Amino acid sequence: MHRGAEITLQCLRAEGVDLVFGYPGGAIMPLYDALDGSGVRHILTRHEQGAVFAAEGYARVTGKVGVAMATSGPGATNLVTGIADAKMDSVPLVCVTGQVRSALIGTDAFQETDVFGLTLSLTKWSRLVKTLEEIPDVIAEGFHWARSGRPGPVMIDIPTDLLKAKMEFGGPKKFKPHARPSDNHGESTFGETLITLLEQARKPVALVGAGAKLSGAISELRKLLDHLQVPTFATVHGLGAVDPEKPYYLGMVGMHGTRAANMALHDTDLLLVFGARLDDRVTGDPSRFAPNARIVHFEVDPAQLDRVRACELPIIGDLSETVPACHDALRHVKLPDWSGWRSVACGADRAELDPRGLAQPTIRFLDELFSRLPEDSVILADVGQHQMWAAQRYHSSSPRGFITSGGLGAMGFALPAAIGVQLAKPGTTVLCVSGDGGFQMNIQELATVHRLGLPIKMVIVDNKYLGMVRQWQQLFYQRNYAETDLSDNPDFVAIAKAYKIHGQRIGEEAVREFPVAKETGDELDRFLNSPDPELLVFDTAPEANVYPMVPAGAALSEMLFEEE
Amino acid sequence: MHVFHIHYHNTQGTLMRILNAISRRAIEMPYVQAAPIKTGLRVTVLLDVNPKQIGQLSRDWHAIVDVTDVRAGVPTPEMQELASEWTASPHPPASAGASVSIRTAMA
Repeated sequence: MHRGAEITLQCLRAEGVDLVFGYPGGAIMPLYDALDGSGVRHILTRHEQGAVFAAEGYARVTGKVGVAMATSGPGATNLVTGIADAKMDSVPLVCVTGQVRSALIGTDAFQETDVFGLTLSLTKWSRLVKTLEEIPDVIAEGFHWARSGRPGPVMIDIPTDLLKAKMEFGGPKKFKPHARPSDNHGESTFGETLITLLEQARKPVALVGAGAKLSGAISELRKLLDHLQVPTFATVHGLGAVDPEKPYYLGMVGMHGTRAANMALHDTDLLLVFGARLDDRVTGDPSRFAPNARIVHFEVDPAQLDRVRACELPIIGDLSETVPACHDALRHVKLPDWSGWRSVACGADRAELDPRGLAQPTIRFLDELFSRLPEDSVILADVGQHQMWAAQRYHSSSPRGFITSGGLGAMGFALPAAIGVQLAKPGTTVLCVSGDGGFQMNIQELATVHRLGLPIKMVIVDNKYLGMVRQWQQLFYQRNYAETDLSDNPDFVAIAKAYKIHGQRIGEEAVREFPVAKETGDELDRFLNSPDPELLVFDTAPEANVYPMVPAGAALSEMLFEEE
Repeated sequence: MHVFHIHYHNTQGTLMRILNAISRRAIEMPYVQAAPIKTGLRVTVLLDVNPKQIGQLSRDWHAIVDVTDVRAGVPTPEMQELASEWTASPHPPASAGASVSIRTAMA
């Protein structure tokens, strides 16, 4: 006879889970009681939000399903931000929560919340388990949906009495999904249409998003792009998918994208989209988005199509299948000569402007740090100005090397996510870049970093403001800096010390010279090469801004470049 | 006003997910009825929506794991009492539709 908790853990093992992140509590206690000897390693974070972000970090860097555990009530509600984040950024995630015992459900019992109902609009699939017997089927089905198609979050809520109850257990189950009419993939006729569209195009471009990475189609996509040689750019989640050294690569597109990328996207007459959902941060004003373009959209999830406007040619399917099929269709086709357009889009007149103004030291600081990182390093950026500076300066071709909360924009994401990344990649340099606001949102995870001895390199870009909000207040609210002043920030180095983590500060003056002085370079090397966790606080100008910037509601061609 | 029939398997939360797609957009829904059919269940909704919302709803409904089909419909007399006017909807967007269309090329 096996307890429900043991069955749950065996089913998790059968799905390949050997690492879970969580925080114990009343209703989930039977599952914690069964952990020892289960083969599942549990990482205790110091808040459930830390657990779910850590599970996301693990999932984002490995492509495997991340698992977070929490108890009922507040434990479960603390997972919600991470679940929303996983939905927006297509992260395979399974959350297992304990629920009050079955007889108490619906009675407003102690620590009871309807987490199933609460997360219905955020999850891809969810279950409140009703019987012990269904646990194996529910877990098998949950993992299937978390990782299939467009990956996403799954919630499994198990009443505590079922975790304690016993039954004969015949082993984990396999899930076979029922066929849906929409799963019929029809005829493969897109090649001719695509060729026609390409032959008619004068200014084609390619936009690469997270889907290229999630599908594992990077290699095939790079071959196709090399074949096409059209101006190419990436969303923030597409960074690293394209080799940045390619002469046709224009960097990041969107609100804080490069001038060249945004101009090319505005001017194009044929937009090839590879696994991106074209959200408002990429499109700017939807009514003026790529006004002359016809759209070819490679996408696994039909729900993402036609969001901005109808695409000319939707190519639905996993990019690992559709991209090679596209390449095959084009292999022997003589494509038009787009060299004139390429030289305009990728030429000097549209090249990125040298960073000027107050942000220059921060950009130079990030350049210095990034240039010292091994190629397989992973950079995590929190949310705010530092996130966009880091994204702009990221020039690696490591597909899963830049991780951030892009769709939801959840401050506090980076530090716990870095824990998940470092555990998944123990030999890899993990650099976590946060702002002074976001770092304090999950600062308690320094305890997790210390306990596990994870050599995460943490940077706080400290401008003593909620910088991105302040930037908008400066530009669009007449400098009314309402409630964004953080000038009374705590001493982050002293806080790190309290958690037994070495910390130090560095000021802008250290990076004013170019190249930086030897002492500064040595200090950055020591920071990055330390075998222990390290914190580096970079003091920067309070009113530094991120440019280029496309104001909300403007077209991509209407970028701001500097303060007037 | 537009009428839609959404077919689905009767699994936990599926009806709520279908209705959530409507409520999250604060769309007026003067009529809703769910009933069993041969292959599962069907919920019929009368909605005050614009063409853009029709596309969004159709895609959201199709993305729900246990939704099997989405169809535009015509109002019953009972619905017509509740609707000021009814507009015939086109079939939900082909790219999100259950049937293979000429516009949807797939590998």
